Amino acid sequence: MRARRPTVLLIAFSIVLGLSTSSFAPSASAQTVDEIIKRGKVIVGVNTTTPIFGLVGTDGQPEGYDPDVARLVGKYLGVPVEFVPVTGANRLPFLLTNRVDMVIALFGITPERALQIWFSMPYATEAATLVAPASRNVKTVDDLAGLRVGVPRGAMQDLLLTPQVAAKKINLMRFDDEATALQALISGQIDVVGTGLLVNRTLNRNDPGKNYEVKIVLRPLHFGIGIRRGQIDLLQWLNTFVYTIKNNGELDAISRKWRQLPLETLPVF
Amino acid sequence: MDYVFQFGVVWREIDALLLGAWLTLRLSALAMALGLIVGVAGALARASRYRAARALARAYVEAIRNTPFLVQVLLVYLGLPTIGIRLTPDQAALLAMVINLGAYTTEIVRAGIKAVPPGQIQAGIALGLSRWQLFRFVVCLPALRAVFPALGSQFILVMLASSVVSVISAEELTAVADTIVARNFRSFEVYLIVTGLYLAMCLAFQATFAAIHRALFARWSG
Repeated sequence: MRARRPTVLLIAFSIVLGLSTSSFAPSASAQTVDEIIKRGKVIVGVNTTTPIFGLVGTDGQPEGYDPDVARLVGKYLGVPVEFVPVTGANRLPFLLTNRVDMVIALFGITPERALQIWFSMPYATEAATLVAPASRNVKTVDDLAGLRVGVPRGAMQDLLLTPQVAAKKINLMRFDDEATALQALISGQIDVVGTGLLVNRTLNRNDPGKNYEVKIVLRPLHFGIGIRRGQIDLLQWLNTFVYTIKNNGELDAISRKWRQLPLETLPVF
Repeated sequence: MDYVFQFGVVWREIDALLLGAWLTLRLSALAMALGLIVGVAGALARASRYRAARALARAYVEAIRNTPFLVQVLLVYLGLPTIGIRLTPDQAALLAMVINLGAYTTEIVRAGIKAVPPGQIQAGIALGLSRWQLFRFVVCLPALRAVFPALGSQFILVMLASSVVSVISAEELTAVADTIVARNFRSFEVYLIVTGLYLAMCLAFQATFAAIHRALFARWSG
């Protein structure tokens, strides 16, 4: 028996390897707009842990800026939308492994990410920020020394702060999603949270008295719809779609509904 | 499949992965040691002659075994600060693991104690053993020996379950892997290596358990 153990292990490991490589019928391998329409549904990855841009509503369905944009995608494609919850860390793997047709999930447009996926034209304005209670004296990244700074793993705040952790003595803590990071701030488990421009409004509503405010704007961002590289047909359609909803007032209505702000002029590329 | 493997970018991060694995190992080993103590205490409480102790142990076991580990982790990390108990992510993870493992171990050890024949205890009393000797040699060791395989697999399970503590920002192996994936998007390569690391850690623990089994129960050549 003993002599055979390595063989058994080898088989066990091969099974794991085999399971992960074998082609489980990819659920969202549609490459073109026609294929999506023919399948009869569009599969969209959305974040459901971030106030304003995506939460789970009381009816169990995703609600927020991004889910509403996704619903417009479905409306203009003429097919129902199937939502798949994604996080900052797993949205890219979900896209690359054909689990979703596109990701509409606070996806900040950067050249690094564009090495892996394609972005549509921007459909939203945001920024990577650091938020803390008013009493916390933080004005620059230098003031973060010794503080516990919570960020959603893989989000822009994580990527921007990670290179400075050692030099600035930041205690950077990465949470699996934004909701847990925000909860940690409310619980007092972290001092500063990496989030967006408007989330402090939600924080102040849920935890009144602390007067949460945006302390530092790390980088202004624009969100784009992420698709797999090489899907030129889908990209062209999405850009036309973004152009349309920007100019017919539908995106402005979404912005006013969730951000209580009119839509800013968005750049194009 | 037209996926191009790029292990190079992942090997650059191997130090971080090993550091994560080290935390997983430490958390697991500590949770196993403390969880066993909690489990033995819980099993004794369940066999206690005092009704309150029995009820308390029973409530603990039922509460923990019938709720998800993830919820327990979140409760310890995000819930306890409300009553003034503030733990770092690593401490919270360890506490949640000990509480969780303790409940399962209680039931396993209790089964072992039940398997000790009453005649054996009576023989011990007849031989004039002290209460401590009776507990140690006549009840505890034979009970642990009887349930050793079940304990071993429960211990392995808690190590594997430790992967969910990444949610409260404890930087164990899975958390490190997630972070690396978020940076270089090489999920396939990273998780493949992580799978291998978990497998290696499981085997290391199993070998340790076997060694402990030999050391503890050598006199019973069973």
